[in-house]
Amino acid sequence: MSKITEVAELVEKGKAKLVGPAVQAALDEGCDPMDILNHGMIDTMTIVGDKFKNGEIFVPEMLVAARAMKKGVEVLKPHLASGSTGANGKVIIATVSGDLHDIGKNLVAMMIESAGFEVVDLGVDVSTDKVIEAYKENPDTKIICLSALLTTTMPAMKATVTALNESDFRSNIKVMVGGAPITQEFADEIGADGYSEDAASAASLAKRLVAA
Amino acid sequence: MYKVVFIREGTIVSVPEGMSVLEAEIRAGLKPDAPCGGAGKCGKCLVRIADMLSHGDTTLPCEAIDTKISSHDNIALSCEVRDSEKTIAAEAYSQPVRACQTKVMADILVDTFSSQTKEYAILTEGYLRPVTYHPGLSLHKIQLEKPETGDKRSDWVRMTEQLTQDEPLEQIYPDPALASSLYARRAESTEWYAIHTDEKILDLRREPGRICFAAFDIGTTTVAGYLLDAKDGRTLAVESRLNPQVQYGADVIMRANYALEHGIEIVSMCIREAVNGMLSILAKKASICTEDIFQVSVVGNTCMHHLFLGISPASLVHAPYTPAISARLTLRAADYGLHVHPNAQLLMLPVIAGYVGADTCACLMATRPDQEDNITLMLDIGTNGEMVLGNRKRLVACSTAAGPAFEGAKITCGMRGAAGAVDHVFYENGNWRYTTIGGEPAVGLCGSGLIDLVACLLRAGMIDENGRLESGQADPQTFVLVPPEDAGNEQGVYLTRKDVGEVQLAKAAIAAGIQLLMEELQITEDDITEVRIAGAFGNYMNPTSAGEIGMFPRSLVGRVRSIGNAAGEGAKLALLSREELKMSEKLARSTDFIELAALPEFQDCFVEQLGFEEV
Repeated sequence: MSKITEVAELVEKGKAKLVGPAVQAALDEGCDPMDILNHGMIDTMTIVGDKFKNGEIFVPEMLVAARAMKKGVEVLKPHLASGSTGANGKVIIATVSGDLHDIGKNLVAMMIESAGFEVVDLGVDVSTDKVIEAYKENPDTKIICLSALLTTTMPAMKATVTALNESDFRSNIKVMVGGAPITQEFADEIGADGYSEDAASAASLAKRLVAA
Repeated sequence: MYKVVFIREGTIVSVPEGMSVLEAEIRAGLKPDAPCGGAGKCGKCLVRIADMLSHGDTTLPCEAIDTKISSHDNIALSCEVRDSEKTIAAEAYSQPVRACQTKVMADILVDTFSSQTKEYAILTEGYLRPVTYHPGLSLHKIQLEKPETGDKRSDWVRMTEQLTQDEPLEQIYPDPALASSLYARRAESTEWYAIHTDEKILDLRREPGRICFAAFDIGTTTVAGYLLDAKDGRTLAVESRLNPQVQYGADVIMRANYALEHGIEIVSMCIREAVNGMLSILAKKASICTEDIFQVSVVGNTCMHHLFLGISPASLVHAPYTPAISARLTLRAADYGLHVHPNAQLLMLPVIAGYVGADTCACLMATRPDQEDNITLMLDIGTNGEMVLGNRKRLVACSTAAGPAFEGAKITCGMRGAAGAVDHVFYENGNWRYTTIGGEPAVGLCGSGLIDLVACLLRAGMIDENGRLESGQADPQTFVLVPPEDAGNEQGVYLTRKDVGEVQLAKAAIAAGIQLLMEELQITEDDITEVRIAGAFGNYMNPTSAGEIGMFPRSLVGRVRSIGNAAGEGAKLALLSREELKMSEKLARSTDFIELAALPEFQDCFVEQLGFEEV
């Protein structure tokens, strides 16, 4: 357990370079890969998210913690049975057409993954067609998350959400939106199911939406 | 508070007792040269000091740590001291002392003899790079004479042939309106003056009169205008103001969005009106008419460039963020509503890429890193931090979204550099001191004060590597620099943990950009011989603080040079030298551009740079 605690501490402090070796040490000691993932990393990211929501830490610390977790997961992945993560379901995430910004989106993806979802990340500058295509390839998707950082790409977000609202699979999914210029009013106006202000709240929102 | 009079500059500043002379220089806006950042190590900040009242009759009224000064050590100065409030004999001044190690303990006179020559050197070496004065506009005396019988040449040809005698010009574009006036003009007088470029005659005059140029640097936040005499290229007047487009949004994205939603014309007219207003003030200052202005050069970031010309910024604000037009343009100023001579030309410098604009091209023109063997890094820090790295072999540019933190936005007590803004912060032996712009009671933190404060907090061990703030004050997540009772506002001036986070995001964006440019050129920071910082923030920020917070590699601190408003200087060069103007296009096209957002390693690099290193 102590090795897992060490992993947890390193993830929380964002020690990206040390997390990989610590995960390896935990594996070598015979720790269960699922325990390392759940207690060493996912629980930690939940704590990080809560601290963020409470105003104890800020975006930079979340980013470094997320990167540290990513490094740990890279070491852990070969030891995890496929399908062992993502018990809460599948989420498609993308930055909308015309927007190349993905740091915020990646953080949301990481937090949602830590909340027990399987994340299909479509990347940046993603057209409406690509989002719909991705859904058809992953018909078990429960949530589609869209990000826009530029005020000028908000219309593209609206267009994608409108297309999703008109699709025949709309009742099977929830649509979440976010990004610096996005507000709850805008989310309501374009007919999204949810909006969250930051990555930590996005994870809790995703959980609430699938539970509903 | 004591008065410090800088006799060479004719500037007076009030400072608290115990402040160093170097800090007083900074407060007075003198931009002293202090490569070691006031550590007392480099000995570059030498000044001579005299007592304002006693003229240095007895011991000097300053507590000199490094040099014992007394009037008995007087030496004759080779330089002549200008009149100040009181004329004072050069002998009354002390021997040179280090300004950073000398504290103000009375009203004093300061002779900044050493930085004086250096500042000049920066001007000539740097942004006022000497170029051969060879403007694209010329004035020629011509004769309009009655043709010989049998001379079948047109009046136009007989006139333009006189212009091409001195230097081989390409065909001057025939102007029917002007040709039509030649017969009548000949009746008026045979002697005329042609104001012309290689391709065009702009005006025919009876007298040579005044001929002027105007250069504009249109920034997202501020606009700087210069009026130049076409006779010798001398700057006649300078004028600056806030870009009135701020009412449509503080950053380029918001402004572009406004233009796309409400019409480009509103936003275009807004800046053109401001430029016209500045033109008339410039003309008034120099006692000329705006009709005497025959060429206007304009630089700005790509969005400002497009909005000035009334070009849709749509392509700029949607991936992959390309400009609608990037070439150098020669246009008719009247077509863009400028109130100058009706035939005046509008010269638009070329744009490098969507987020590396004509302003960056102008900075390159002012510094010409493409002519150097040494590798230099040019940084222009604003809401977007543009940077260009390289030498004669290759120049690479990128733009990073540093965000507006260094302009005071998003920071709890942040503000622009205006009166009462804390512009410098000092931490020594557990004591905190600061200066404010204009010496006014503190009301907020501007960019240079912000990075000083974060650097000092790092030095004091109050900010850890992750940016966590432990101030040891009543609220440990907040550091109060100026308590409300000492401030010019009600809440005082303080920094929160969240503010530190904003600084981390902003500095990491710049540092990541530098890192990736170095990787692109396969060089390390040791290969960079000079870091040239353009713009107002670069002028006021303390390079040591910037290095300590990790805005750029710390080893580069000693290689930082402020190049002032290099974009404005580049805009001037475009008017002063036709060769430089032509070169601008080549410079813009040969500068490679990296889209950081499209680089897969950007995020890792950015996150890597978020933390702080120990000071």
